[in-house]
Amino acid sequence: MKYAIQVSNLRKSYGSKEVLKGINLQVKKGEIFGILGVNGAGKTTTLECIEGFRRYDSGEIRVDGKIGIQLQSASLPAYIKAGEAVRLFAKWNHAEPDPARLSALGIPELEKKRYMGLSTGQKRRLHLALALTGNPAVIFLDEPTAGLDVEGRISLHKEIFRLKKQGRTIIMASHDMSEVENLCGRIAILNGGKIAFCGTTEELAAKLGRHYDIRVITELGEDAYCVEDIREELTKILEKYRKKEMNILDLKVNRGTLEQHFIRLAKGV
Amino acid sequence: MEAFLYGIGLQFKMDIRSRSLLVTCYLVPLLFFAVMGGIFTSIMPDSGDTLIQSMTVMGVSMGALIGVPPSLAEIYGTDVRKMYQANGAPLWCGLITLTVSAFIHLLIMSGIILAVAPVMFHAEVPAGLPFHFMKLSAFIIASLGIAGMLGMLEKNQAKLTMLCQVAFLPSILLSGIMFPSSLLPGFLEKLGKVFPAAWGYVLLSNKGAGIGEILPLGIIFGGAALVCAVLLRRMSGSYGTWR
Repeated sequence: MKYAIQVSNLRKSYGSKEVLKGINLQVKKGEIFGILGVNGAGKTTTLECIEGFRRYDSGEIRVDGKIGIQLQSASLPAYIKAGEAVRLFAKWNHAEPDPARLSALGIPELEKKRYMGLSTGQKRRLHLALALTGNPAVIFLDEPTAGLDVEGRISLHKEIFRLKKQGRTIIMASHDMSEVENLCGRIAILNGGKIAFCGTTEELAAKLGRHYDIRVITELGEDAYCVEDIREELTKILEKYRKKEMNILDLKVNRGTLEQHFIRLAKGV
Repeated sequence: MEAFLYGIGLQFKMDIRSRSLLVTCYLVPLLFFAVMGGIFTSIMPDSGDTLIQSMTVMGVSMGALIGVPPSLAEIYGTDVRKMYQANGAPLWCGLITLTVSAFIHLLIMSGIILAVAPVMFHAEVPAGLPFHFMKLSAFIIASLGIAGMLGMLEKNQAKLTMLCQVAFLPSILLSGIMFPSSLLPGFLEKLGKVFPAAWGYVLLSNKGAGIGEILPLGIIFGGAALVCAVLLRRMSGSYGTWR
């Protein structure tokens, strides 16, 4: 099987509100796949349906291989020590803790620390270590670096790359475009429960190249435009101001960043 | 099985680290025993005959009804439950490991009362200790059944604390350990029988040790266990089948 995850026409409603409106995606084995979207776009619901954490109304989901999950909001009992948590979940998974992997995540130094005494970054590292205890082939990461400082993010990114090198498939949800650009080979951008874009970051960048942000500052204020054909559209815009006999005080033309393009897609602008 | 046993041992250690459970399972019941034991035996010398039983019922009820539900809510009312599920632990493991651990703590606390009361207050040791511990076990299990039900019914800690008090106070006041339940108005005496404490006191005091006392405790536990099972099923129903 070429794909680690195959999702066909996934639909899910909460009451009368349809949050997933026919999601289709395939995640190749060994790739890092990013799911992006603004808050409420359906990222976590999509992930939880694939993980088996949430029932869905219709559609088909196929996951090839054992899965490991790092939840967006997760917690452990306040008085459990990091080492005890690793041993407990290793036993539930009928697996032995991997000392090399634990060392890479810096877990040995947390061994005797109680969960309530861990920093956000240390908790994230522990959650990832727990997600990996069962030696999964497919790993789900939901906002893996949320709340982490720069050092924590870099450390976690390194670990994610290390997991990819080991041939594992990683599917991660995020709303951080730069993080996704660094880590993911392919991405899906969700908007209103549908996939607005699915492809590589290069494909997204190519699409971005056709968009320009134009800002026109006049005595009355600032107007913003987003256009694809800069030559034709800019002429039309300038003509509009000339006809109104308005003085243009300043004119700015920018190629949109990847992040701006993501926002346009994610918000359906 | 190995994971389950490790989980029980780990829960036992976490309970010792958690000051709140130490307070409700050991400190307050034993302080109450030390103070009230002295008062009871000085103003009513005959109370030494049932001091161990009454203080045990008080201690077990407090430890189970006040101490255990918040710990359960910490698992089932928070993201800890999702964390357990996501990492391969079955949904019931938190309830069972916490209940077994609390059972051991309450048995130890009852053992301390049993050992100290004759020395401090010349209390009468119950006849037939193995049988006493069997009856005590039945009472603790029934009390933990109610505790489990409370802890899984309410996720909000503030509301749960009130709910626990609502269960604990009438349980103790109507159990007969403070004054004979026969002195209570009829409906209050009947209300007291809803809680394990009243049956536990009768059972431990050797006022009855037959099916008539064991059966109500069994029914209370069975009812509570059924509610817990339904609540667990509802929790698992909100998610898909796991692995």
